[in-house]
Amino acid sequence: MWEKVRDWLAQRRQKLDLFDETLVARQDNPLYLMGPMLYYFWLITVVTGVILMLWYEPTTTGAYTSIERIQNDIGRLALTFLGRPVTLGGLTRGLHKYGADALITITFLRIYRMYFLAEYKKPGELSWMLAFLGLILGMVSGITGYLLIWNQRAFWAAKVVLTVPVYFDELPLIGPLKFGSMIAFLFLGGPAVGQATITRFYALHFGISLVLLILVEVFFQRTRRKRINMSLFPLALFLVMLVVISIILPAESGRRADPTKTPLPILSDWYFLALYQYVKYTPPLWAGLGPGLLIGFGLIVPFLDRSKGRRPLERPFFTVVGALAVLYFLAFTALILFNIAVIERDPFLIMNITLVVLALGLFWELRHRRQQRQAAAAGISPPARAPVHG
Amino acid sequence: MDTKPAEMMARRKFLKLVTTLPALAATAALVSPLLRFLKPNVEKFKIYAPTVQDAARGEVIAVATLREVANPWDYKYFVFTQKYPQYTPEGFKAANVPGVVIKLPYKITLYDPATGQGPWRWARDIGKTPKVTESDLIVFSRICPHLGCIYNFVPNYKEVTAGYGGYLPPPPRQHALMACPCHLSIYDPADPQLPGRVLSGPAPRPPRTFLYEIQGENIIATDVEPGGIA
Ligand code: HEM
Ligand code: FES
Repeated sequence: MWEKVRDWLAQRRQKLDLFDETLVARQDNPLYLMGPMLYYFWLITVVTGVILMLWYEPTTTGAYTSIERIQNDIGRLALTFLGRPVTLGGLTRGLHKYGADALITITFLRIYRMYFLAEYKKPGELSWMLAFLGLILGMVSGITGYLLIWNQRAFWAAKVVLTVPVYFDELPLIGPLKFGSMIAFLFLGGPAVGQATITRFYALHFGISLVLLILVEVFFQRTRRKRINMSLFPLALFLVMLVVISIILPAESGRRADPTKTPLPILSDWYFLALYQYVKYTPPLWAGLGPGLLIGFGLIVPFLDRSKGRRPLERPFFTVVGALAVLYFLAFTALILFNIAVIERDPFLIMNITLVVLALGLFWELRHRRQQRQAAAAGISPPARAPVHG
Repeated sequence: MDTKPAEMMARRKFLKLVTTLPALAATAALVSPLLRFLKPNVEKFKIYAPTVQDAARGEVIAVATLREVANPWDYKYFVFTQKYPQYTPEGFKAANVPGVVIKLPYKITLYDPATGQGPWRWARDIGKTPKVTESDLIVFSRICPHLGCIYNFVPNYKEVTAGYGGYLPPPPRQHALMACPCHLSIYDPADPQLPGRVLSGPAPRPPRTFLYEIQGENIIATDVEPGGIA
């Protein structure tokens, strides 16, 4: 048993790709440049983050003011844009924020690429699982970083997100152990959002990247692979783009957090919006279980998908599931932006649409398999398999 | 050298077991200290229900005068200060619980001394017996029982329809309502059977209530129903 697991891991480790380093042969295809770009944007956020730490003050009373100071006063340049002074502090903040946005965007796109091209199939299971964990840790970095500004949106986002686990106390059997509230209390540093919360979020925000960076560096040292296999020009271009956005659209600070007033509507960073809409529709226990199941599904999808082919049309069911996920992500995000939610009607509709679409997907899958079997029986060899990467 | 292979295997397994067990035990022994590091008020070696220590301590305050809420649907916001343990070097830290006093158009039962039922059912759990049992004044905590946002008292139900996702209350409930900006839970403060009944949205229960007493002209909030994140 143990030996099997170890062999399995050893095999996957050899084919492990953290940032698509072994796919250099496909450098002409931007789809495979996502890996190095991911690493590049991550480095940008880490470097700018450390610079921000020089001025950032992690206290409930000082955080917002220190952010304002970073934005408007630190390192003023002899330059204004639309009447606003351009500051080095503001640029650093912009690079950190937009760098993080780029990081999350690319992580999402890369996950979709890996999914629709079935890169998670043997021997890519481990690479896929790490990419997926990376997305989750990236989102945790996002939400912990967001609270550091201590503005209205961030405050309520943190409170809502950390009230969700409290409902795990309602689960049968494990509920009475109160591990749900414990999760919340450990992250919040008490039963309320306060100073302890900022301190802990600050530590997590920094710690996640720090630990991952060390692990990744060890990996690169051992495999002697090239970290960023891209030419200098696009890298410089991306950096310039981030700087330009930071000047045109300075990172927002919003309004200082007020624990006695919730703004209407509350929004969050863009990658959480779809989740927010989902939370409106579902009983609170499912607000936690749903994403949990989704994460679980994502992690074990390499073992669920037993279809033969790698191309999307060769495994219809999983393609349908993926397409549905993309669609819901976009649709829910749009709905929350327009503040539309008819709670009596929508969940019912959505459930039905989901069931019908999944059933159709299953049907398609079965038909596809039958056709393949018939073709095999008739002696026609199936189309050549797409080559395995790596 | 002359041991048989099968015997070797068995020995190896045994040795493995002998080394794994202490390692597992050591890990288990670390759980409790780790928990206590993250949450210093957990009792030693206690892993079960470690959050019971975190009961908040409220400070009794006058939240409104009777004159301020004399007419039906008058309401007043207030902030109740509660002390929660925060795991900072300073220890306890105050957190605020916003609340609202509402004058209803009719009297409702708050606590039935005979059966212990009613919105103030929870009073017995904290060892109190409500002095008021029936009243047209009710005091809610404004912390949404869904995920902890602060909901609003909305005097005109049309504003609820316009601003909170398009919910239109049925005619008997077309009066002031309470609505939460976060996920659009909507509550009826004046439901005679269940004040704060959830009319729409994901909230699992009505908002928590405050226990209050009337002293002369003043409405005094003494306790708030425990639970939730502040
Ligand atoms: C070691 C690495 C990092 C350090 C030291 C760091 C540090 C900081 C600091 C000091 C702030 C507060 C200043 C501000 O908001 O302008 C901040 C904000 C933030 N961080 Fe990081 N960070 C790091 C990595 C990351 C990563 C990997 C992400 C990825 C998602 C991220 C996302 C954010 C976000 C979204 C904000 C809020 C920015 C805003 O809206 O203005 N950070 N970070
Ligand atoms: S927090 Fe009020 S509806 Fe979700």
